[in-house]
Amino acid sequence: MRWFTFLCILFCISLFQSTLMSWINLGSAVPDLYFPLVVFYSFLTDMKRNTLANWLTGMSKDLFSEGSFGINSVLFVAIGFFIWSFREMLFRGHLVTQILITFIFSLIYNVVYTIHLAIFFHSLYLSSTLWMIFCCSFYTALFVPVLFWIFDKFQPTQKLFLFKDH
Amino acid sequence: MRTSTPSFSNLIKHPLATIITLFVISLVLLFLPPAVSSRVKMTCAAPMRPVQWATCFCSNKASAFFDKIISALHDAQGKKHLEEQVLQFKNKLVEQQDTIYKLQNKLRNLSKFQAENTTMKKSPIPADIVGYDASNFRKSITINAGSKHGVKPNDVVVSNNALVGKITTVSGRNSVVQLITDPAARIPGRVVQTREQVIVEGNATAFCKLKYAPRWAQLKKGDDIVTSDIGGLYPPSLPIATVVENELKSGALFQSVKVLPRVNISKIESVLVITNSH
Repeated sequence: MRWFTFLCILFCISLFQSTLMSWINLGSAVPDLYFPLVVFYSFLTDMKRNTLANWLTGMSKDLFSEGSFGINSVLFVAIGFFIWSFREMLFRGHLVTQILITFIFSLIYNVVYTIHLAIFFHSLYLSSTLWMIFCCSFYTALFVPVLFWIFDKFQPTQKLFLFKDH
Repeated sequence: MRTSTPSFSNLIKHPLATIITLFVISLVLLFLPPAVSSRVKMTCAAPMRPVQWATCFCSNKASAFFDKIISALHDAQGKKHLEEQVLQFKNKLVEQQDTIYKLQNKLRNLSKFQAENTTMKKSPIPADIVGYDASNFRKSITINAGSKHGVKPNDVVVSNNALVGKITTVSGRNSVVQLITDPAARIPGRVVQTREQVIVEGNATAFCKLKYAPRWAQLKKGDDIVTSDIGGLYPPSLPIATVVENELKSGALFQSVKVLPRVNISKIESVLVITNSH
């Protein structure tokens, strides 16, 4: 894993997420480009690098969003660690696995994030929030093939396309 | 015999120590006071702002260019301009309607407020939108006007005579605007037609909801919500939203009202910051 490449990818993702994503919104849902990056590095790297990469990704998201500073880094580190812990059981090279894992964990992340919001602000409608969580996660998962292809071009790894690595 | 003390670099090499260290840093940041946290955020994000502005500028230009091509093909340019004017006039109409109500009722409080309003110097600062919130569940924008332009926290931000939000964080050349659709936004408002006082609350969707709308209030679709002078933060009679649907649930103390903000954030490129200089 090359840190310089990672930081460049993170910079580009932050830039796209905070400027151009509003052009491709579905209602008020926009794809979360940070999340596939978390899943990608959880699939790819060892525990230490994965933790640091996810922490930096979370901090980057915190910088460009309103609200508590640090919440996304905590969630990303936790989710990254969880994915890393059972990645050996998955066929990581398959696109369906990548999409499904991104979708499922994006759902979990969004649910936890909205619970945190609901505790502080009490202003979220349950039905509309659940619908938005689903839309955001689905939309994010749709971007996985393109994003994983780009990430893999910049961070080439043979490991990702093996069934198991020892 | 000399024993080696564990250094930080040795400690960080251990994966579990890395996780714990990063968790602790995150938790420390999480419990920072909001003012300190905002300042850290603005400082860290500052080098990114010019790039954000350039990207937004280019995308806006590209969008405008494609808009022009489409307009030329469909002869819709004039229509768009007219629609914009109609929107402005509609907002102006709501504002005027509200003023007429107030004059008709000859409310003592209003005349007092108007007297205060004439002594208050309000100067609008134009600003471009340079960034949007990275999270799906928070609604804020970054604008290219900051303390060097005279912007202060809690200044009101408008577009097309309608409320957009308020300034939450200010740095030298940029500010963060908390939109009215943000879950943390609470705006004291008034229904123009029924004169009920309400709180407009964001809920992270394209819509907002009205809090404390009484059961007996005769609200209907299309009713306008404007800012009230309660709290003194927002100037009165500024259009906020329009009622889309209301529902009376049995046993509930208040109506459940869904409102649509008058400003579509995804379609505007610039805003006005109204600074209060008393």
